[in-house]
Amino acid sequence: MRGALIHIILISAVLFSPVRAFSAGTVKYMHILSLYSDEKGVGLKNPEGVGCNEESRIIVADTANHRLLQYKLEDRTLTAGAEIVVPQVTYPVEVKFNSKGEVFALDGKQHRIARLSTDGTFIGYVELSGIPSPASYVIKSFEIDKENKIYVLDIFSGRVIVLNPDGTYRTHVNFPEGHGFISDVSVDFRGNILLLDSIQSRVYTAAKDATGFSPLTEGMKEQMRFPTSMTTDERGRIYLVDRNGSRIMVIGQDGSFLGQISELGWKEGLLNYPSQLCVNGKGEVVVADTNNSRIQIFKLIK
Amino acid sequence: MRGMPPDRKTMKPDLIRMRHIVLMLFFIMCVFMISVQASTENKFRLKPGAKGEICLKCHEPFKEKLKSAFVHTPVKNGECSGCHNPHTSAEGKLLDTVSTRICDSCHRDMVPENAHSMHKLVAEGNCVQCHDPHASGNKGILVKGGNELCLDCHKETADKIKAARFKHKPVNENCMNCHNPHASGKLDFLLKEDIPALCIKCHRTDSPAFGRQHMNYPVAASRCNACHDSHGSNRPAIIFEDVHAPVAEKKCNQCHEEAGSQAPLATKKKGVELCRGCHKDMIDTAFSKNRVHWPMLDRDGCLNCHNAHAARQKKLLTGTVLYVCGKCHADTVELQHISKINPKNPGLCKPVKEGDCVSCHSPHASDYMLLTEKPSMSFDICNKCHDWKTHSTHPVGEKIIDPRNKNLSVDCISCHRACGTANKPAMSQFESVTETCIQCHKELERR
Repeated sequence: MRGALIHIILISAVLFSPVRAFSAGTVKYMHILSLYSDEKGVGLKNPEGVGCNEESRIIVADTANHRLLQYKLEDRTLTAGAEIVVPQVTYPVEVKFNSKGEVFALDGKQHRIARLSTDGTFIGYVELSGIPSPASYVIKSFEIDKENKIYVLDIFSGRVIVLNPDGTYRTHVNFPEGHGFISDVSVDFRGNILLLDSIQSRVYTAAKDATGFSPLTEGMKEQMRFPTSMTTDERGRIYLVDRNGSRIMVIGQDGSFLGQISELGWKEGLLNYPSQLCVNGKGEVVVADTNNSRIQIFKLIK
Repeated sequence: MRGMPPDRKTMKPDLIRMRHIVLMLFFIMCVFMISVQASTENKFRLKPGAKGEICLKCHEPFKEKLKSAFVHTPVKNGECSGCHNPHTSAEGKLLDTVSTRICDSCHRDMVPENAHSMHKLVAEGNCVQCHDPHASGNKGILVKGGNELCLDCHKETADKIKAARFKHKPVNENCMNCHNPHASGKLDFLLKEDIPALCIKCHRTDSPAFGRQHMNYPVAASRCNACHDSHGSNRPAIIFEDVHAPVAEKKCNQCHEEAGSQAPLATKKKGVELCRGCHKDMIDTAFSKNRVHWPMLDRDGCLNCHNAHAARQKKLLTGTVLYVCGKCHADTVELQHISKINPKNPGLCKPVKEGDCVSCHSPHASDYMLLTEKPSMSFDICNKCHDWKTHSTHPVGEKIIDPRNKNLSVDCISCHRACGTANKPAMSQFESVTETCIQCHKELERR
């Protein structure tokens, strides 16, 4: 009996140790295409934002050109749409769709979120009405969930403010104790709120109705240099943009490290100080490759 | 009864036999331990009484040294073989083990577990920089006595202490009054106690004079080193050289609530809005740019990088530029550090070498990516020191399109990396010259 037990332990050790050793870095991906210009052939310039939706639409914040650009990605072919230039958004740095196809764009200069109709007409700014004291806030980033609730990352008062689709206050969750600089907020398919700490390279999580954040991961300084942006896919995988490391890091919904997409470079498929990213319904990862002045699209194949 | 020894007559013979066996085993174990100990102590099988006497037959100068006031215990006991192997060793001076570890074998408790700060020499295991391993005239077998030992390395501090018009008495007496020479369990800068507890040991905070000097603000529990330079200063009350104007003018209430109010240490406004009262032009200019450095916008605002009261560094910075930037951008500072110590990089760009991040970046705000002070990192910023138009080896310029990416021009950062490149030579983005060239010149690539 004891001999059999020892045999089982030894065989398990031999079988499972390689699996653990190679579990980091199992992500495999392929580069699909790179996007350089609008429909008139005018080149992108330091785009920082990119948003996707279920209808294959892609919206790009062409930041240094002070405009938004629309595209459609179907069968790995991009069709460029009209540019959107609105005086209310002069320096777009982050863009997202809601479920109605409306575009939300964060202006990096004004720190305000503009709401645009599906055809790009300016509807108004998201005004944070009815928020509790302190009344002061500075918007660093935002997220929109499937129910069109808006999650505003307020770095002045250190909290995530959750708004109803009409912009009225719903609730808020304060940043966790001992946090570093919080760069981004995201919401996964279960409705958990995720926070990204750039300095500690750590992700925090708060369940749908939780009142506080707790660490999802340990500090990941060994794996990444300075993550600044984050999104999730339908399987709950979390994608972190390691801006200073010029790559995308993928972690599981339990916080385990899964691997990386791309690395520093100028050639197609390589990244240079990327900013925002999004994942569409087909699992295609669209990245604002900022210092390469282009958008790049990848597909996870494992 | 419980606890009473059993009557010998009533004990069973088996139990008595067992007791004898246990006693016998204990005796054998003791004899074995003593013999092991003796063999360890005399692992070289020296003749009785030989020990260090044998070594001193050849190492005569040591006889004089051993007359010093303080002698290392193993040396005093003639146990030279405690550290040295008399026959052969892979280490210098026939040391028994690696020189950086040898002291550890006895002095294991010098550093608290998970120490918050540690003396660099201790971390490196370079104990002999401060201690003579054999003997010395100074307590703790230190190679020099008093502050001279510390200030020989900490020259900048030495110069400052010497030049200060207003001295801090404990500093001139002994650095160890405030610092632990090896490590500090929970505090920065090897401090023995936290501030203000350390200061309060000498300075009374309940005296009327203390209240008057601090404009009757309740600062007894505040960090004294927010204003005072513990190593001395040219300003009275050893206030840091660079003082915020309202502090110098004793106008605390310009930023804080009144001394007699309920929350006198609270500031009148939060974040950057507090500073805007006086620094309006600078802050308005910053906020007119496309990108404001994010820390300016959080609750601490300017205080993320500047000290509100007084500072050792100019512009009231909380430390050197490299320290301040490195608080958040540790990854970039690490790249800079590795580049700086890399022997392949003798021609390291001056701002990178000096850690002067603000040579290229605007710390408050900018219209451009990465808060660069000019639109193009290459053409406008590198050009401040390097005339890229005279770059002899390659066409560079806004009209030269990068073959790898039609949205980019060939510029300095096409090949070089501005913040440092760790182990790569000449601040190159790539491992070698060949790899740099074949990025674009694919026809030259060896397949």
